[in-house]
Amino acid sequence: MLASDLDNPEAVLGIPLFKAENAMQGFWAAPPIPVSWRPGMNLDLVGPLGHGFDLPREVRRLGLVALGETVSRLMPLVRQTAQSQVGMTMFTDLPLPAAPASLEAYPLASLVEALDWPDYLVFDLPLEHLPELRSVLGLPVGTGLTCPAQVLLTTSMPCAGLAHCGACAVPTRRGWKLACEDGPVFDLNQLKW
Amino acid sequence: MNAAGSLGFAPDQHSPVDWSRLGAFVTNPVSLTPRTPAHGRRFIAYPGGFLLHTGYPNPGINQVLRRYAGQWSRSPIPVIVHLLCRNADEVAKMTRQLEPVEGVMGLEVGVSSEASPEMVAAFTQAASGELPVIMRLPVERCTELAPVAIQAGAVAVSLAPARGEYPVGNGEMVRGRLYGPANLPLALRVVHETTQMGIPTIGAGGVYTQAHKDAMLAAGALAVELDSVIWRGAGYRILT
Repeated sequence: MLASDLDNPEAVLGIPLFKAENAMQGFWAAPPIPVSWRPGMNLDLVGPLGHGFDLPREVRRLGLVALGETVSRLMPLVRQTAQSQVGMTMFTDLPLPAAPASLEAYPLASLVEALDWPDYLVFDLPLEHLPELRSVLGLPVGTGLTCPAQVLLTTSMPCAGLAHCGACAVPTRRGWKLACEDGPVFDLNQLKW
Repeated sequence: MNAAGSLGFAPDQHSPVDWSRLGAFVTNPVSLTPRTPAHGRRFIAYPGGFLLHTGYPNPGINQVLRRYAGQWSRSPIPVIVHLLCRNADEVAKMTRQLEPVEGVMGLEVGVSSEASPEMVAAFTQAASGELPVIMRLPVERCTELAPVAIQAGAVAVSLAPARGEYPVGNGEMVRGRLYGPANLPLALRVVHETTQMGIPTIGAGGVYTQAHKDAMLAAGALAVELDSVIWRGAGYRILT
């Protein structure tokens, strides 16, 4: 969703906010958040925008790859999946928050060697790093992953879907899509990468 | 009014925006042929505003008419279609397509920041016909070009966002449109100057508060176009 600090004249636009965890009377948001935000302040929330992860029931070995500035946006999926019999492995160089015991964690460098383990992969990836994903995975041009994958593409969404402004446009095999409306989670195989 | 590019192609009846708070709806820029989003970095925030470089993506006039003409005919407020054209022939062709469309009450025609006075006159004349024409002029050159537009038949001029460039590292610069309250002083000065010249002017640029809007009207603006403030918490404080 989009959060705006309407009392701060210097906050010109809203900030995309991702839920990290449910709370008694609301939710915990995934960091980072603006340094100007203080406890007790009022925020104007618009959303939810777009759609999130949607894992098939058949998944048994889930690989999670955090390539952004936090793993927190993947944690709701981890907590949800921890209640099932699905094995989970996180590949990241980022610090991990308190996580279910069923989640194993490995450095990002081990991902290339472990790509034959998961039967489903999810990524948290800044949109501007999409062109680099192939080299992160060690995949030559013309080859693809052996398992299906979804990717949460983080990017600026200045109009929050109100204007179809195109700032968050994502290249897909079926033309351009907007992260604010058609994402921010996409089927990786539908993207041009 | 909303500024072109700020609220999409048609007033969405399911949107939380209270359309009765707007005097007219201005569509996203529409071109003769489809345009895809710009490549590379499209959004850069800086103190006081942000730079946007989107390429004004749109599916082209034929698709826009197919998708949105019905909504325009049912619009609770007048619809003004913004034309994004490369030459006067395109302006003329799109104008003829739009004139019979129910709900379309006017045209706003954009020109590039490098447009010559001759191009402004040609665009204005090409759009002139059954619908009133507003020429959206580069704010930095509005006082120079506005008299040309009015003389050629425009009923009013409006202000396009200022354009600028911003460093993104490695010596690379991104060029684009500038939004945010930092643009208000320039827009106010231009509105003041053009209205002093007797030119009907729709003010736009940096309007983020009621006080900004009042200042724009006090400077002589005929009306005010809101842009990125609408995206900030959906601009509810102004539009609801």
